[in-house]
Amino acid sequence: MGKYIVKRIFLMLFTLLVITLICFVLVRMLPPAELPLNDPHTKIIELRREAAGYNKPYLVQFWIFLKNVVTKFDWGVSDKLYFGQDVAAIFLTKLPATVIVNLYSIILSIPIGIALGVWAALKKNTWIDYTISTLTMIVISVPSFVYAFIIQYVLSFKLGWFPFLMKAGTDWLSWGMFVSMLPAVLSLSFTVIAGFTRTTRAELTEVLTSEFMLLARTKGLTRAQATVRHALKNCAVVVVPAIFGEFIGIMAGSLVIEKIFAIPGVGNLYLNAINGRDYNIFMLDSCFYTAIGLAAGIVVDISYGFIDPRIRMGSKK
Amino acid sequence: MSKNLSKLLALVLALAMLFALAACGEKTPAAEQPTEQPAEQPAEQPAEQPAETPAEPATYTYQDSVSTMATNWNPHTYQTTDDSYPADFLRAGLYSFWFNDELHPVEGKEPYTGYVIVPEMAASEPVDVTEQIKAERPEFNIPESATAGYAYTIDLNPNAVWEDGTPINADTYVYSMKQLLNPDLLNYRATDYYAGDLCIAGAENYALQGQLEYSPIGVSTSEFLAAGGNVEDLLVDAYDFWNADASYTDAEGNALPQYVSVTDETVYGENVDDAFSGKQLYDEYLGAGAAYEAYSADELYTITGQYETGLDYDTTVGCFKSGDYQITLVFGKSLAGFNLLYNLSSNWIVKEDLYEANLSESNGVWSSTYNTSVETTSSYGPYKLVTYQADKFMKFEKNENWYGWTDGKHVYVDPEDGETYPMYQTDIIETEVVAEAETRKLMFLKGELMTYGLQASDFATYRNSDYVYFTPSETIFFLILNGYKQAIENREAAADFDTATADLQMLTNLNFRKAIAVTYDKELFASTVSPSRSGGYGIIGNAYIYDPDTGARYRDTDQAKKALCAFYSVNVDDFGGDLDAAVASITGYDPETAKELFATAFAEGLEAGYITDADNDGVSDQTITLEYSMSSDSDFMTRTIDYLNEKMAEVTAGTPFDGKIKFAKSAPYGNDWSNKIKAGLADTVLGGWSGSALNPFGLTDLYVNPSYQYDGQWFVSDDVDMTLEVEGEEITMDIHRWSDALNGATVTADNGKDYCFGDGIADVETRLDILAAIETVILGTYDYLPMLQDASAALLSKQVFYVVDEYNPIMGRGGIQYLKYNYNDADWAAYVAAEGGELTY
Repeated sequence: MGKYIVKRIFLMLFTLLVITLICFVLVRMLPPAELPLNDPHTKIIELRREAAGYNKPYLVQFWIFLKNVVTKFDWGVSDKLYFGQDVAAIFLTKLPATVIVNLYSIILSIPIGIALGVWAALKKNTWIDYTISTLTMIVISVPSFVYAFIIQYVLSFKLGWFPFLMKAGTDWLSWGMFVSMLPAVLSLSFTVIAGFTRTTRAELTEVLTSEFMLLARTKGLTRAQATVRHALKNCAVVVVPAIFGEFIGIMAGSLVIEKIFAIPGVGNLYLNAINGRDYNIFMLDSCFYTAIGLAAGIVVDISYGFIDPRIRMGSKK
Repeated sequence: MSKNLSKLLALVLALAMLFALAACGEKTPAAEQPTEQPAEQPAEQPAEQPAETPAEPATYTYQDSVSTMATNWNPHTYQTTDDSYPADFLRAGLYSFWFNDELHPVEGKEPYTGYVIVPEMAASEPVDVTEQIKAERPEFNIPESATAGYAYTIDLNPNAVWEDGTPINADTYVYSMKQLLNPDLLNYRATDYYAGDLCIAGAENYALQGQLEYSPIGVSTSEFLAAGGNVEDLLVDAYDFWNADASYTDAEGNALPQYVSVTDETVYGENVDDAFSGKQLYDEYLGAGAAYEAYSADELYTITGQYETGLDYDTTVGCFKSGDYQITLVFGKSLAGFNLLYNLSSNWIVKEDLYEANLSESNGVWSSTYNTSVETTSSYGPYKLVTYQADKFMKFEKNENWYGWTDGKHVYVDPEDGETYPMYQTDIIETEVVAEAETRKLMFLKGELMTYGLQASDFATYRNSDYVYFTPSETIFFLILNGYKQAIENREAAADFDTATADLQMLTNLNFRKAIAVTYDKELFASTVSPSRSGGYGIIGNAYIYDPDTGARYRDTDQAKKALCAFYSVNVDDFGGDLDAAVASITGYDPETAKELFATAFAEGLEAGYITDADNDGVSDQTITLEYSMSSDSDFMTRTIDYLNEKMAEVTAGTPFDGKIKFAKSAPYGNDWSNKIKAGLADTVLGGWSGSALNPFGLTDLYVNPSYQYDGQWFVSDDVDMTLEVEGEEITMDIHRWSDALNGATVTADNGKDYCFGDGIADVETRLDILAAIETVILGTYDYLPMLQDASAALLSKQVFYVVDEYNPIMGRGGIQYLKYNYNDADWAAYVAAEGGELTY
């Protein structure tokens, strides 16, 4: 198992390197942001770009980039959005907001999603199941930013329960901050809840019809005991890894949500970097999301082994 | 048991929902604010608080929103208008603009219809010391003939200090200028002090030390070679001539430099399928006898030198200390009067210790984090920064060390009640990033924002609101029409272009273009596609002031009105000689004339072989599809194209082009849209130019200079002569030279005499005559069909009001300086609550 994990981590780093190289070269092949014609300021910008190595061959540029990142964790300075400021420092100040909003969303979504899924599975082919399944399909089909506007209008504007935007400040774990994050958290959660509901219902429905469940009932367990002790455990083999997968999904979905609710996170930063062609910020953000995705893949794979002892990782037998 | 399990699940669900909604009853941060104002809400005072406790003063908070938060407000490096946002609060210029009122009267002007310029960070008006500096400091090369306008001493305000009390004196100004121009730092704003009207002597040489200097050869290649010039010395400006940029690389990935030797055979651009070499450009286009040799004067360069290195600031740059609280500024070109004070209404000073602490160098590139956070910011203006969270929030509070609170000068007389009030009633400014317009609107209606910029969908509701304010801006948007014959022929020659059913050549027919020009009602167009804007009629908009002293606008002059009448074929005599009535009658829409012009164009098109009418039904066999050069798709684009097509269909009904002219969106070209138009690869687009609101004359260069022209490939301004009578003398020259002369260059007319009609040299009426004549010629090309006068509209919160309703091009409506409050924060919260938490405007 240990050897398998090391191997996966090594492969992950190699994949990350390749993706980073591709991103870097593609980005550097793009023209730098246009400079206004005949604007005297452009001369200064061109001189700065020259000094920053924009005119060197791509592989030389990549080598310099990689060396700085690995040896000094120096991702360069922003040359557009945060002119002259350290990209890594900017990124790190924004990471907590993104992580915490996504964590809240996962924490909210898991119990609701699983509970609804279990309920629907237990009430299979009843009006409860039909209602939950239909709502799940509707909710999963609507992008999260639609919920964002509905929530802003209903909960913030009409009812006045929440502020329109996330609170300013860095007191991430304060009550005020939590309350101000809830509209964003709710917006992100609807789709995730629907996802968990669907996965749980599908898996549990299958498990409940298994022969071992019949055996469990015949040996005298109540339906609840059989469901909790046997069915849910088997169901977890699929549901738990899905939690890690959803985390990545939410991170991607939060790009737009962060903008709508003024969450000063890395998702918003990513969008701004793309729009503003701030390549150093774009590279750091891309590497971050790539690394998270790759790491989640490993965690999901490894989690199978822990959840289901029948699954062996890295075994040659 | 199954019932029990259902109950258990229902309980889990309920708990989860509770988790989500537990805090619903909590107050929002905005709702908490009023509780900080106990004096305004006696009912909320804690019971134990003694009644005699002195009431805290009322607080006035300005709640603003931006879509992009400032990230760098360093006066030496900021680049965008977003970044300049904090400047109004944190900084002050040497001179500033105030409304004229009873305390600051302007002769002949009603209060609040003009402005005065007052010393701010300066202590008094600048004193001209040109003669003295010319004698004492020859290194600044003040022209021998100059007697004024080149050097000034400025006494500094001795009460000005940084927010921590550190004095601001002459050393501050000199240190700051030295850092601004420091050649190692490559500061973005350095050019502001040598490349424009404000040209500090020696600043350019000091800032660009070691850089190569390029100059256009100014003559044709043949003339250059005939005069003994060497081909090896020539470089082509590939960025301009080939429309290339640094994304063009050679085989090794090296980026294309702007200037490439004409003997250099290195191929650039294979990565973008547009490859060329310097030698190829010379041989095929710009060399002696080549197709585009006429462009060589502007496109071929020689290295004329290298900026000297090792320069000493003190003996090079014309900004030095002449007293503890006095600086002397020496200019490379003369600057006086309004323009001098206007250019000194911004400031370049930085706080030395903070600035030094925030400079860093990496791989030879210097960066500064000065003015990027609360810690790296020190104010010397009326407010100071107290909170900053990047991309989120910033908060300003009154800077108690600002001299303006106590100098007794920063007061004004209210035009309504005649009372005197201190400026800057606002105590706190809170600015938050709100990206979505819909969110801004909801927050505004909740009383959480001071303004809301109207979107197109809001106009039906708020157009007539008492709280809506329209603000004109400088830009005129015109419909650019492709007239590049060669490019059109090339497009028609393409294999996939069926000339039996489609045509583009009609675009080059003048009557066809004229017909399009009178097909659209400009006001109707504006109200349909962009209601905050109004119809545009000339290439120079309503906001341009030609006389800053009086605020007189170009568009209000007789010359400008006559130019419009000429273009729209309006006979003033039909209005009893009333020029204003004649101009007021112009809508841009004349369907009868348009039909006649289309018919004439049809006949001419048939004769020229552009179109056919094989079945003799009197209708063109070809459809003319004008590709609209779209940067990106949007609702605005859709509305525009739909409107253009709808009205075109109406006007061409019954003409030979009935149903035969269509506007179609191009693929999204991004920033390349203008290149497509310039190259004749797209046929039309709404484009615009704007310039300095105080200098309409400078706009002419945009229409005659190939570097700027959209129609540079088919309208050569050097070939278009214009004759004007100036002070009894008839002068003929091409409009490029007229434009240059109007903007201060000395040019030689066809009669061999030199002329200059620049500011302060020619009288203003003459300049207006020239400007209007150039506008008439440009409009007459039908390359630019004015459509929209840019403007914006915004709702203003009931919590505040402007001291004047009328927009002043220089003062606006007074900004934060003159903003007045109907309600303090506590009263406002109470008012909003009384309105049910939802305001109506």
